[in-house]
Amino acid sequence: MAIHSYAAIYIGTYDVSLKVFEFSERKRPREVDHIRSRLDLGREAFGKGSIGYELVDALCDTLAQFKQIMLGYRVEHYEVYASAVLRGLSNELFILNQIFIRTGLSVKVLSNSEHRFISYKAVAGRDSFEKMIQTSAAVVDVGGASMQITIFREGRLITTQHIEAGTLRIRNLLGDRGHSLKLYETQIEEYMNKKLDPFRAMYMTGPVDYVILISDYGTELIRKIEKNGADEKLVKSEKFIRFIDKLQKKTLEEITSELNLPNDREPLIVPSIILFKTLVENIAPKEVWVPGFGIQDGMAFDYAYRNKLLKMAHDFDADVISAAEFLSEHYNSYSPHIEALRTLSTKIYDTLNKIHGLGKRQRLLLETATILHDCGKYVSLADGPDSAYQIIMSSEIIGLTHLEREIVAMTVLYNTRPLDPYEDVSEKLDQDSYLIVAKLSAILRVANALDQSHRQKFKNIRIAVKNRELVITVEAFEDISLEQALFENKTAYFESIYSMKPILRQKRVFLREM
Amino acid sequence: MDSKIDFKNPKYYENRELSWIKFDERVLSEARDKNIPLLERLKFISITSSNLDEFFMVRVASLKDMVHANYKKRDIAGMTATEQLTAINEATRELVNTQYSTYMRSLIPLLNKEGIYLLDAHEDLTEEQGKFVDRYFEESVYPVLTPMAVDASRPFPLIRNKTLNIAALLTGKQSEGETVFATVQVPSVLPRLVQIPTEDGSTCFILLEQIIERNISVLFSNYNVLCAYPYRVMRNADLTIDEDEASDLLKEIQNKLKMRQWGEVIRLEIEDMADKKLLKFLKTELKVADEDIFRIAGPIDLTFLMKVYGIEGYDHLRYKPYTPQRVPEIAPEDNIFDAIRRGDIFLHHPYETFDPVVDFIRQASKDPDVLAIKQTLYRVSGNSPIISSLAQAAENGKQVTVLVELKARFDEEHNIVWAKKLEQAGCHVIYGLVGLKTHSKIALVVRREEDGIRRYVHLGTGNYNDSTAKLYTDCGIFTCKESIGEDATAVFNMLSGYSEPLSWNELILAPYWLRDKFIKLIDREKKHAKNGGEARIIAKMNSLCDPGIIEALYEASAAGVKIDLIVRGICCLRVGIPGVSENITVRSIVGNFLEHSRIFYFWNDGDTEIYMGSADWMPRNLDRRVEIIFPVLETSLKEKALHILEVELADNMKARVLGADGKYEKLDRRGKVAVNSQEQFCEEAKEEVPKQDAMTGRRVFVPAEPAE
Repeated sequence: MAIHSYAAIYIGTYDVSLKVFEFSERKRPREVDHIRSRLDLGREAFGKGSIGYELVDALCDTLAQFKQIMLGYRVEHYEVYASAVLRGLSNELFILNQIFIRTGLSVKVLSNSEHRFISYKAVAGRDSFEKMIQTSAAVVDVGGASMQITIFREGRLITTQHIEAGTLRIRNLLGDRGHSLKLYETQIEEYMNKKLDPFRAMYMTGPVDYVILISDYGTELIRKIEKNGADEKLVKSEKFIRFIDKLQKKTLEEITSELNLPNDREPLIVPSIILFKTLVENIAPKEVWVPGFGIQDGMAFDYAYRNKLLKMAHDFDADVISAAEFLSEHYNSYSPHIEALRTLSTKIYDTLNKIHGLGKRQRLLLETATILHDCGKYVSLADGPDSAYQIIMSSEIIGLTHLEREIVAMTVLYNTRPLDPYEDVSEKLDQDSYLIVAKLSAILRVANALDQSHRQKFKNIRIAVKNRELVITVEAFEDISLEQALFENKTAYFESIYSMKPILRQKRVFLREM
Repeated sequence: MDSKIDFKNPKYYENRELSWIKFDERVLSEARDKNIPLLERLKFISITSSNLDEFFMVRVASLKDMVHANYKKRDIAGMTATEQLTAINEATRELVNTQYSTYMRSLIPLLNKEGIYLLDAHEDLTEEQGKFVDRYFEESVYPVLTPMAVDASRPFPLIRNKTLNIAALLTGKQSEGETVFATVQVPSVLPRLVQIPTEDGSTCFILLEQIIERNISVLFSNYNVLCAYPYRVMRNADLTIDEDEASDLLKEIQNKLKMRQWGEVIRLEIEDMADKKLLKFLKTELKVADEDIFRIAGPIDLTFLMKVYGIEGYDHLRYKPYTPQRVPEIAPEDNIFDAIRRGDIFLHHPYETFDPVVDFIRQASKDPDVLAIKQTLYRVSGNSPIISSLAQAAENGKQVTVLVELKARFDEEHNIVWAKKLEQAGCHVIYGLVGLKTHSKIALVVRREEDGIRRYVHLGTGNYNDSTAKLYTDCGIFTCKESIGEDATAVFNMLSGYSEPLSWNELILAPYWLRDKFIKLIDREKKHAKNGGEARIIAKMNSLCDPGIIEALYEASAAGVKIDLIVRGICCLRVGIPGVSENITVRSIVGNFLEHSRIFYFWNDGDTEIYMGSADWMPRNLDRRVEIIFPVLETSLKEKALHILEVELADNMKARVLGADGKYEKLDRRGKVAVNSQEQFCEEAKEEVPKQDAMTGRRVFVPAEPAE
């Protein structure tokens, strides 16, 4: 394979940066250049909800310079992503348009889940990551507006929690109040402890060995703590906390000079280090790992996976399934019924491959929906579907985009509820996604119909498409009249979507297999 | 060991100005060395002179500023500005006296013996010569002269900085008794030295001011000239640009250049026989104090001797010219990138030629695979091939980024011209950084090769100046190591105004990291010594006057670290102080080439580390400039760097060793093999050149192929 070059531009809360990468045969992306330009977009964005023309001007200038640099490297492909800083601004659309007109760059504004997933991809691309999650590890991604904690045990993803506490948010909330630095630090500590308390109570079911910290200033900090640290910056947590305690006794100027930061009064450094400290104190790992790379590395990995330039080291689909399973367990809904449905629904999906015209990704969504389809009952037996929808929408499933999460949640919803017309859901879904929801929920419904009793009466299920019929042949020892009776009723929906009639045939088996 | 020693005690430090004067004395003593060819000695007189001029304009001027500003802080050696000025005055007078007595009493007679005459009095001309001179005056000099008389309606004119002038007292031919002052500038557009014909075939020169003096009555035809004497003023020229205010640095510097001519007069040189009345008049008009008047027993401004040095013939009175040898790793016509890929390359100028560095940029400008060239330029030669290559590269569509340091002292005017030229060619020119002088010497070539981007870096201790590279001893390396390449890219990103990198692999930069690094390296040796191990530092640089570093060296020495310093110029460190600096030696090498390289060697318990770079151990290098120090990584290159240090430490011909009394003395050579480090390096460089290999020596006819 020839050398393939790629540039990732990222518009962050307080800087805009460009990384140029090279991919060659099966190797990790090689970073060729990394350019950061300070631009405090966050102050206006989070303060006023829009960004003024001066900053937009500066942003366009910087991006235009980046484009020149990319040209200099003869970069073939590039992507420009923006963080939460542009998301939901009152003038978001206009800014994006201005950037396009002035620089020719189209910017994609990342949703929170996409953002997290991309930085997670960068971390998961490292070898040491697989090793750490085999025991137990918490990946903590600290951003300006919020943070996200993902817990792994024995190689499996357990949960991802989104906590509305980021460095910039904390500064805006607690900073600039004319308080002393000491008081400010105490306030942050208290605030963070309170924020993390419920998380600890709910999800910290056992000890966690490693905290994997993704954040700005992380590298600067770890470099000071572990001076002889090689590539993999791992430190004992006591040492980590002790160092921050020591830093806390200093003035802001002393802290920034100690950490070798470019600005004398880095506004986010204090919230950052206190946040790190409270995190490590609350999660109490043995060691802290700061992989020291940013969102652009994730963009490069993501790009490489998408374009088959790189083989995935980590199975991200397994994360999704695992997260769904734990979510399902969390709401006491995981059961043999669900196990059975997973097999059934995916079997139907695979059989219908040519008919539904969907791909591998949608199969993952169907499986996720199947796992989660009963979780609403934990909240309300009467209003199960709606509750399930709410639960799914308010849970982080790392690896799914916001839209994909919506698809999963709606699939669950329309498993029992009649499908709403597109007009009613057009705010949440585009037409393609609406079709996907319809197709997936129809399959889920058929699968469900096959296990109405939740007793897994069928064995050796064979599914085949014959003419315009979906023939499901089952072997059953028990009486399946309940299923038979309800089948017709439940499958009308399927018929309307696929123009195909599901038929249930029974091959009676009289000897129960042992 | 007394642990209570205060290493900051001013008694342990030497004043930097006085130390500098000692350096100029060492240069002057080269002029007094009878073993050196005559014209070379003349050259050293000239260098002493131009050194002293710069010293006055910059250092003395800034001390004067301090006195005016009532700045009371004491320097590293505990002296106030006034005390320093007094001491400097005394020392420079002595220096100038020695300089002129050497010139007048030793060199002039020797020159005459060789048939070279430098007339500094027009009265000595023969009748024939007189006629020649008068004709020259009439044809070439007179038209460019602007005589100016001073009277009630004509105020005292501006006497330009560093220009030579003739002052005269006149009386009106009609109105007897009234004396008028007049002055005329000796035109700087004409050569100071005018060759005049002789009958016996000897070479004879007369100074331009003497020609004018002889004909001065022509200029003031209505007056009688009572007397006329040459004089010269030196003005405060330290450029302190207020960078916060300067929106456009370029413009600001242009303005400052004009203003420089107007600075306060800090020195007046006048012929020692000058008329008292005339001198008094000058003194009042120029507002110059008695102590700043230097009466000169000979021609003013001896820098013209550099021209005498270059006269045709008389090769036996000069050193044989040395041709820089080719770098063994780089064959002529070789692709330089191929050569660098074979391994890091060490360059030692001027023993080895500077051509590869010029070639590096030249080849890069034409190479289709090269994407970008980035370089810092501080002082470049007038007709620099590097500049034209950079312009060429930009025209060939490469990304060319050049950082031009406009603040390079006395070179600003020159720099602005070619910076503009580069900009026109399409280069991205950065005009220095606000508040910091960019002194680092780094060139980066980014090349897109089959297996991806590869970066080639040249790092050096000297400027990218092909002319001075023949005279200054400097070191450099070529490398394509990824770690250094990444750092080099980061350096240029930083210089372009982007954020600094999160970490550096190999390079150490001032102003943020370098000081700490040096202190750490010195402290590490101290620690090793305290633990009872061997500990050693060898450092070579141009000047050593940083209090923090010196203190660290004192502490290290006190702990038992053996420290050998090779410091060409200023050295504020004192040796031989009991309990403080007994383990430190300082030597200075002043030779035919100007010692300019900076090499820092640390024993590090056997795992030696060697660094080279652009920084001296001076506060300005460590705190107010962008400097780069780089490690020498390859063993074979480390050996070369260490070899330089070892030979210089063994030098007993040109080295002078600093004694506890603060004096520099040559070594006692009895019973020792004479070592002249510069000559030895010349010889070694010649030996290193591979014998012409069979391939290039073979004679074959090459059939031409039709063009496509």
